[in-house]
Amino acid sequence: MSRSFLAVSFAAVFALAGTLANAKDTFTIGLSNGWVGSEWRTQMIDEAEQAAKEWSKRGVTVKTIAQSANVDVPGQIAQIRNFINQGVDAIIVNPNSPTAFDPIFAQAKARGILVISTDAEVSSKDAIYVGIDQKAWAMQSAEWLAKTLKGKGNVVAINGVAGHPANQMRVAGYKEVFAKYPGIRVLNEVNANWDQAQGQQAMQNLLATYPQINGVWVQDGMAAGAWRALTDAKRSDVAATGEIRVDFLKTWNDRKFNSGASVNPPGCMASALNVAVLRLQGRQFKDGIFKGQYGNALYIPIPLIDSSNFQKTYEQVKDKPGYISVTTVVTPEQAEQMFFKK
Amino acid sequence: MKSTLRLSGHRHPYLMAAVVFLVLCVVNAILQPSFLKFGVATSNVAAFLPMALVAIGQTYVVLASDIDLSAGAIVSVVNVVVVSIIEGMGGTGASIAAGLTLGIAVGLICGAVNGLCVAYLRFQPIVTTFATGIVFAGFALWVLPEAGRQVPPEFYLAYAGTVLGVPTVLWILLAAIAFAGVIARTRFYQALRATGGNIQAAYQTGVPVARVRLRAYLLSGLFAALAGLALVGETASGDPLIGGALTLASVTAVVLGGTALSGCIGGVAGSILGAFILGLINNVIFFAQLPFAWQGLIQGLIILAALAGGVVMARGRQET
Repeated sequence: MSRSFLAVSFAAVFALAGTLANAKDTFTIGLSNGWVGSEWRTQMIDEAEQAAKEWSKRGVTVKTIAQSANVDVPGQIAQIRNFINQGVDAIIVNPNSPTAFDPIFAQAKARGILVISTDAEVSSKDAIYVGIDQKAWAMQSAEWLAKTLKGKGNVVAINGVAGHPANQMRVAGYKEVFAKYPGIRVLNEVNANWDQAQGQQAMQNLLATYPQINGVWVQDGMAAGAWRALTDAKRSDVAATGEIRVDFLKTWNDRKFNSGASVNPPGCMASALNVAVLRLQGRQFKDGIFKGQYGNALYIPIPLIDSSNFQKTYEQVKDKPGYISVTTVVTPEQAEQMFFKK
Repeated sequence: MKSTLRLSGHRHPYLMAAVVFLVLCVVNAILQPSFLKFGVATSNVAAFLPMALVAIGQTYVVLASDIDLSAGAIVSVVNVVVVSIIEGMGGTGASIAAGLTLGIAVGLICGAVNGLCVAYLRFQPIVTTFATGIVFAGFALWVLPEAGRQVPPEFYLAYAGTVLGVPTVLWILLAAIAFAGVIARTRFYQALRATGGNIQAAYQTGVPVARVRLRAYLLSGLFAALAGLALVGETASGDPLIGGALTLASVTAVVLGGTALSGCIGGVAGSILGAFILGLINNVIFFAQLPFAWQGLIQGLIILAALAGGVVMARGRQET
């Protein structure tokens, strides 16, 4: 009796210890953002904090510590150092540099901390990336433009900051698409530094120089500027890519723009957070799931807004403040399905 | 008692900085219980080291009542040059040695350009170094237009590691302090303070003021270069914009440390404390978990409060 009692109680203790070890249900996650120049970043942090709260519905407590400031690379490293010293379970970073965080991420990993970058890919082998594929983002709207022009016409491109990694990937993306259409001619490509006013200025100059423009490929907030220039010049015959803020969608709706916009969702950090919590719970990634130039990227879906779904999208967001961006979040359920083994 | 305090304020301009530093340490330790652990302290030193190094160099220039607004740009130039050389030569041991040597040389050349313009051509220091800073920053962008390139892991592992059981970053800080200690005992240092106190009088008593000011700029270039090397160790990669914020931070650290922008009064010890104060303020804001909309406001207010303390000390100084 005593032996079997012992065996049973040992088994019970082990089982209990096992469940306790596996079912850790409180996690602390540091959110690091190195640039606060746009509402998009604020929305990104807000959505990540919201996603953390929603884990309580699944019986998991996720605490977040947000560090968001205009810092240089050493400043963001200091943020990450503090997260490490604080003993967080995971760090999610919107990084200011693709390469400069290799050493600090290595230190985080050595301390057993999960590191995820979002919005911009990083070279570190100690981190993973959860976010959109910037190149695919550009290819999708370039494809829309090429199809809208029925594969024929004169196109100009207005780009962001020369030398910025995301910009380079986007430029490579639309170039690849336009190269597939022999009838599409790229007349000129200019940089307007992701600035709305500079985008408008660039569009005015381009319209004056090339009256024969049929299509415009333009990124992010600069699209609002470019469209203003097109409207002022009464060029409703031109098709141009758009952007995803409610303000822009309102004008799109009022003036019936011929536009299409790839969505870079500010929910990317929330998506990364959902992936992080699943991983912290001990879930394993599917084999061969990582992609990208650094082999560490999990790409999330990129919605496209065009005439086919514009009304539906617009109805959903039209009552929100003008600076809010259309967003999507990869829910825990979707993340499980897309990235994790059963 | 009061007069003793005033007297010590006169002799030790960094006393106020030391008080502020201790207060911040206590606040930090309360907010972050692991603050006093050796690993965390080392990690803080690593985080503050680049700013402390630039601030040391800046101190010499400020003591001569000049200023170096190109220091941050020199950090960037050295950072991208070193990374480019090391990667270009294949990341071997020889390439690291060449990278370190040439990095220091580049810092000294930048310092020499500043010194020659200000001390010998008699250009106005603020405008001159502001302009040379733009030139240096442009040069950094030309060398490396996009952040990137990598140094071998051995480099950053050595930087993050230990030598004889002591963390490398502590060795660097101790070496910098020892170097400053030696400088402070030289005739050059006497001449430097004399130049900053009253340049006409110094000149008339035979102090080679131009040479002294040039040397101060050389020291600023040297320490900016060391900060650039530290950042290579910290980031293992090049970034043409990496030093930008360090210029004004170094001036702030120097002033927080009790060195007068009018020259003569102050010293390196205060500037190191000043740099650590700035770093600790960021930590305190971090660990207080303030909403991020408030962080900039609170940071600015704490810096102002620390400066106000220095002004109170200076008043005391004038009255004695």
